[in-house]
Amino acid sequence: MGTVIVVLILAAIVAAIIGSMVKARKRGQHPICGGDCGHCGGSCGCH
Amino acid sequence: MGIRIALAGNPNCGKTTLFNALTGSNQFVGNWPGVTVEYKEGKYKGDKEVKIVDLPGIYSLSPYTLEEVVSRNYLIDEKPEAIINVIDGTNLERNLYLTTQIVELGIPVVIAINMMDVVEKNGDKINTKKLSEEIGVPVIEISALKNRGLKDIVDAAVKAAKEAKPQSPKHRFNGSVEHAFAHIEELCLHGIEDENVQRWYSIKLFERDEKIQEKLGLSSDVIDHIEKDIASCEKELDDDAESIITGERYNYIGTIINDCVKKAAKGLTISDKIDRVVTNRWLALPIFAVVMWLVYYISVTTVGTWATDWANDGVFGDGWHLFAVGSSDYTDAADEFTANQLIVDGYDLYVEENGSEPTGDFEYPVEDEETAAVDYETASLDDYAAAKAYVEANEEPDPADYGVWVPGVPVFVEAGLDAIGCNDVVKGLILDGIVAGVGAVLGFVPQILILFIFLAFLEACGYMARVAFIMDRIFRKFGLSGKSFIPMLIGTGCGIPGIMASRTIENDRDRKMTIMTTTFIPCGAKLPFIAMVAGAIFGGASWVAPSAYFLGIFAIITSGIMLKKTKMFAGDPAPFVMELPAYHWPTLGNVLRSMWERGWSFIKKAGTIILLSTIVVWFCTFFGVVDGAFTMLEEDQIDHSILATIGRCLAWIFIPLGFGDWEATVASITGLVAKENIVGTLAIIYGASGDVYETMRAAFTNASGFAFLAFNLLCAPCFAAMGAIKREMNNIKWFWRAIGYQCGFAWVIGLIIYQVGKVFTGEGFTFGTIFGIAGICVILYGLFRKDKYNK
Repeated sequence: MGTVIVVLILAAIVAAIIGSMVKARKRGQHPICGGDCGHCGGSCGCH
Repeated sequence: MGIRIALAGNPNCGKTTLFNALTGSNQFVGNWPGVTVEYKEGKYKGDKEVKIVDLPGIYSLSPYTLEEVVSRNYLIDEKPEAIINVIDGTNLERNLYLTTQIVELGIPVVIAINMMDVVEKNGDKINTKKLSEEIGVPVIEISALKNRGLKDIVDAAVKAAKEAKPQSPKHRFNGSVEHAFAHIEELCLHGIEDENVQRWYSIKLFERDEKIQEKLGLSSDVIDHIEKDIASCEKELDDDAESIITGERYNYIGTIINDCVKKAAKGLTISDKIDRVVTNRWLALPIFAVVMWLVYYISVTTVGTWATDWANDGVFGDGWHLFAVGSSDYTDAADEFTANQLIVDGYDLYVEENGSEPTGDFEYPVEDEETAAVDYETASLDDYAAAKAYVEANEEPDPADYGVWVPGVPVFVEAGLDAIGCNDVVKGLILDGIVAGVGAVLGFVPQILILFIFLAFLEACGYMARVAFIMDRIFRKFGLSGKSFIPMLIGTGCGIPGIMASRTIENDRDRKMTIMTTTFIPCGAKLPFIAMVAGAIFGGASWVAPSAYFLGIFAIITSGIMLKKTKMFAGDPAPFVMELPAYHWPTLGNVLRSMWERGWSFIKKAGTIILLSTIVVWFCTFFGVVDGAFTMLEEDQIDHSILATIGRCLAWIFIPLGFGDWEATVASITGLVAKENIVGTLAIIYGASGDVYETMRAAFTNASGFAFLAFNLLCAPCFAAMGAIKREMNNIKWFWRAIGYQCGFAWVIGLIIYQVGKVFTGEGFTFGTIFGIAGICVILYGLFRKDKYNK
């Protein structure tokens, strides 16, 4: 039972991460560039 | 409908600082040109109906640079309801040049004289009332950094926008020039709906601005007619049209300055005095080298290491003593126990190796934890007797007996998983995969934050602007432009905005070359990898981290010289104009905010893409085919893993570089997803065989370790940065050329470091050394061959 709960939590975390990356992509942001957006000055695709 | 207020002004006059203060945004503020490449919008904190637009910094409304085109197009085409012309009060004369053009646009203008705190501190006086009368627009004193006059300036701009009565420019040119303007207006501008902007168009047509001619769709007949008016004026005034306009504007500004500004009599400012040393022809470079060495030394080797040791060994290790209470007592007790245990073990080892007990003093091995170097110490039989008695009488010290012991994340998670009876496979995934991988990356957060504090300080105080100036002097000697160094400065945080910043380089060949070389400078994501190599392979040697930075600069300069001699990149370097801001102490808030913005994105990445990657890496590490069956592997079977199979297919590429094993190969590949992944991957793979650092130390020699570091620093960046390269190159061939060059260059440098480095690290001259020397010859040929394409 413990294993099932852990696997479900893990699956939920992974789904949430992928979901947030897909959403970011739809918003025109780069899904894996989390880096240093302040530096971009709004001039790149990650904004 | 809301009100749009545009912030326009020279580079580095404080527009973005004002924008952040007015809107509550956190846009990056930098004191070098090109930080704001496109305009940004935000809502005014005091009234959400008011939209503030931050435009790129420009010196004039001529269409010579990308920033000028972006700003000019916005003002002409989008027509904001009002403009706040931000002026650096410490340099009024130069800033007013743009003002004389902005007031001609037919849009209500309010002037914000920024940095008034500095003006007052310098003892200078600006008569704003008189200035307002002479230019014909409201003038407000502000200090964006100190939040002074901000409400007044927005109120004045909103009032001007609501009244919608553009000022009539007070400045009048020479009679014959005005006569030419009148002709031009009559000839082709009367059809323009907005009468207020006619004067601006006529001036631009007088200056032969081709973009305006195109925009107005003028026929060749009309252009010829205008040309006659201009030529006649030029003949009369004995100068070219553009110089006539510029000269008259500066004459007008001169009278304004005489009437409105009183400068305090003084000699050299403190900034000037510092610059005499810092930008000195001979001292500038050594000072820069020392500064960057100190930055990396403190953030990676000393303070950073203490903090990261706590994070790695405490938070993501066994645990730590709360507030360090009891920590030193425990360390003393543990050291004493270990010292005695080593003597006992040494005695047993002697018996095992010699088949008899020692009859007198005997030697026993002691391994240095940092460097793994094994040293031998001597113990007498009395020492052994005392040590044996101590070990038998005492148990190994328990840290919990010496203070409040906080278990580390892995201990805590393991206890939780055991308590709920979690399956071993899932437990392995969480502990050996996610916690080990993500923990290894997060463990470097303290070092990253300390590095970012230093970089933020150096940027904000004005030193980095000097570095661009210093580098321009060096770059220019090799036919490169100092403009290419700005993206590299920005790239120390993240390569992507660095690549984007190359847009400010007008010369297409220089821009492409800058895109190709920007990511050579180590970004924040590479820092954990640098720190890991320094700690694991080089025993925390202080020179490793700074050398990574200087290797990046070396790669940029070397590549620049070599590429510039090719037909593809030949040509004169683009001119580089930048103003050196006065040195000042940055506010603590700005430095911390800059540090946190960069650091937070690093942490966020660890919780998303790095976490997903560690799951994949763990699966590929602990699953594979053994005896024809796909199964979960034991720790001593990971040579049969999926990852090992993939790594072995590609490992041959790295054999000449000294790290042709599957572990280092797959780490280099996963680094393409995100550079932090190299650390996460190595932590999972090497962690399976025991202590990560010890296993890593055993897998590399000094030469192969540094070659591994150099290759991963210089090769193709992460996928996100590659995407930025593709977008900016806007050409698939150029994209592959850039990636190919980066990987090829990294491989050659790795080859040289390993093959030649072996000679100096005691591994001797081998057949491979010849290839290393050949690599040096190739680089030297590229550097010193005759330049056929440049004058």
